[in-house]
Amino acid sequence: MKKLLVSLKKELLLLVSDKMGLLLMYLMPLVLVFIITLVQNSAFKLVNENRLEMLIINHDEGTIGDSLIGHLKHSGDFNVEVLNQLDLSKLKKETLDRRKLISIYIPKDFSKGIHENSKRLSNLLLTEFGVVDAEKTTSIKGSTSQIDYFFDPILQENFRLSILTGVHTIIAGIENEDMIRYLFLDMGYDEIPPHIKNELMARQMPLNPVQIGDGADETLKVPNSSQHNVPAWSIFAMFFMVISLSGNVVKERLSGSFIRLQTIPSAFLMTIFSKILVYLFVALTQLGIMFSIGILVFPHIDLPGLELPDNMLGLMVISLLSAMAAISYSLLIGVYAKTQEQAGGFGAISIMIFAAIGGIWVPSFIMPEYMQSIGKISPLHWCIEGFYSLFLKNGTWTELSGSIVYLLLFIFICQVLTYLKLRIQNYI
Amino acid sequence: MENPIIEVEGVIKYYGNSKEPSLNGINLSIYAGEKFGIFGPNGAGKTTLISILCDILQPTEGSVKYTVENQPLSVADILPQIGFVPQDFAFYAELTAKQNLHFFGGVYGLEKEVCKERTDSLLKTLGLDHVANKRVKTFSGGMKRRINLAIGLIHEPKIVFLDEPTVGVDVQSKMSIIQLLEDLNAKGTTLIYTSHHLREAEDFCSRVALMDHGKIIAVNTVPELLVEHKVANMEELMINLTGKQLRD
Repeated sequence: MKKLLVSLKKELLLLVSDKMGLLLMYLMPLVLVFIITLVQNSAFKLVNENRLEMLIINHDEGTIGDSLIGHLKHSGDFNVEVLNQLDLSKLKKETLDRRKLISIYIPKDFSKGIHENSKRLSNLLLTEFGVVDAEKTTSIKGSTSQIDYFFDPILQENFRLSILTGVHTIIAGIENEDMIRYLFLDMGYDEIPPHIKNELMARQMPLNPVQIGDGADETLKVPNSSQHNVPAWSIFAMFFMVISLSGNVVKERLSGSFIRLQTIPSAFLMTIFSKILVYLFVALTQLGIMFSIGILVFPHIDLPGLELPDNMLGLMVISLLSAMAAISYSLLIGVYAKTQEQAGGFGAISIMIFAAIGGIWVPSFIMPEYMQSIGKISPLHWCIEGFYSLFLKNGTWTELSGSIVYLLLFIFICQVLTYLKLRIQNYI
Repeated sequence: MENPIIEVEGVIKYYGNSKEPSLNGINLSIYAGEKFGIFGPNGAGKTTLISILCDILQPTEGSVKYTVENQPLSVADILPQIGFVPQDFAFYAELTAKQNLHFFGGVYGLEKEVCKERTDSLLKTLGLDHVANKRVKTFSGGMKRRINLAIGLIHEPKIVFLDEPTVGVDVQSKMSIIQLLEDLNAKGTTLIYTSHHLREAEDFCSRVALMDHGKIIAVNTVPELLVEHKVANMEELMINLTGKQLRD
């Protein structure tokens, strides 16, 4: 026990003396989690809250233009700005200058055109039913009036089409209502009867959106940028200890300290064990700090706060396994690397690749299928999957089992390979 | 006759897939209280032999036996009584001289107070007491060599293996190191010593072994070796026995 305490003290002193390593392990992930969460939060808002910036010039001399604007505002899909003093020739430039993603020009004959089309369609229907004369119908001309749309080129094709569909749906609703109004007028009514109007308003088949999850729906949480970024960058930070820990191991190996420790009974294993304990402390404090920032600080800077999962034991298990995976990988690099530069370079690059394919930088579910398959070789993938299960689903042990099994296997393989190398080199 | 404290029998050592042995049938007896020198050109096998004696390397064939006060000891029993001073600086450069000695004293199982006492004493003897709280990475080559030695002596071992303890140091540091070793030997510590400095063999060692190509080519006291081979000094003896060919 005394030897362990002495070794722990030595490891802590070495850790504290490694200022660059401490900055990399504690400060870098904090900076990253703030920056990336803020950046991604805008993207999450763009997608999840779906409010697109829209500019409208309404030169309509009737009332339907205003009605269309009202519908667009009411839809909740757009932040609408109306600038009627502009003309069509300036709309493109104004759209870009005002950083709008979409703009619409409503011409002065928009209402007139809708009315003409509705009237013509109503007459055609009534002629078909024999209610009005065919001669009267042919005298009504259809309108050629059109709405001009402008899109920012950054909008992707599928997104653009869904916006157009949305706007068309609103216009179609207005046109249908107008057409039905003309049907009643042509049949001698002054207005659409209220009960018909109410029926028309409520006629759409309701859609019931349900998000798919493994657990009971009432406990299902909607993912947000914090729930991805806080665990993701905590994992990245933990694995980035590879630079400090593997460098520390290589330095001791090359300096001859390991050889001296070999001549002291049980000192070598004690040193390795104390390294594991000290870096476990580092990893868990990294996690604690990052989670505290997500819980306590994020809500104050307009970011979604992190909510801890119900399964706290599961959180502890996944945290511990993630930390041990990072430590085991760092030790493995440390015993196989020939120089400190090799350990740092290979360690850092391998972690960045693991992070990229493992869904740390961007979530795996938006990657192509083959990348998702490749990503499964990354230990960071299984760490983040474990945290996703806890934060986004219900974190039941069944959901966590995949991550737990893979991480245990990864730790075991790293430790065995480390042991074999040390055994070959006669350290143990 | 007294039993040797270390008895090496037929030790052969091959590294990896090498077809040439680094040690080729070493037989050697070292007695308690000796200042035993192992000398030889580069690649002779000195460091490999010391590494096997300290249990850092395992021999491919042969055995090493330890007997202290007529009691045969296993490797596990002898290790706490061995001090090892490697040729490379085997310490933590980011820690202070004191922190290094406290750590190694601690892992040798010394009580805190005893460790502190010995740390202060060694630092004073080796002229490092004024830099006790400075990081070792700021030390000169000679100071590093002295702290490297101090770490190997912190637990007051019965046998000390010293691999080139005076290489690359100024004459003052060398004198300080040699004086400390003389004092330790006077108190009964057995010293096993390798060096390139043949002059040190003449001045310091009670008995020497000359090695070349993994074999021991001569063992005796320095005066007897000089008489036996009819040479004036150790350098002449070494050239006579190992030739003038350059070594890798």
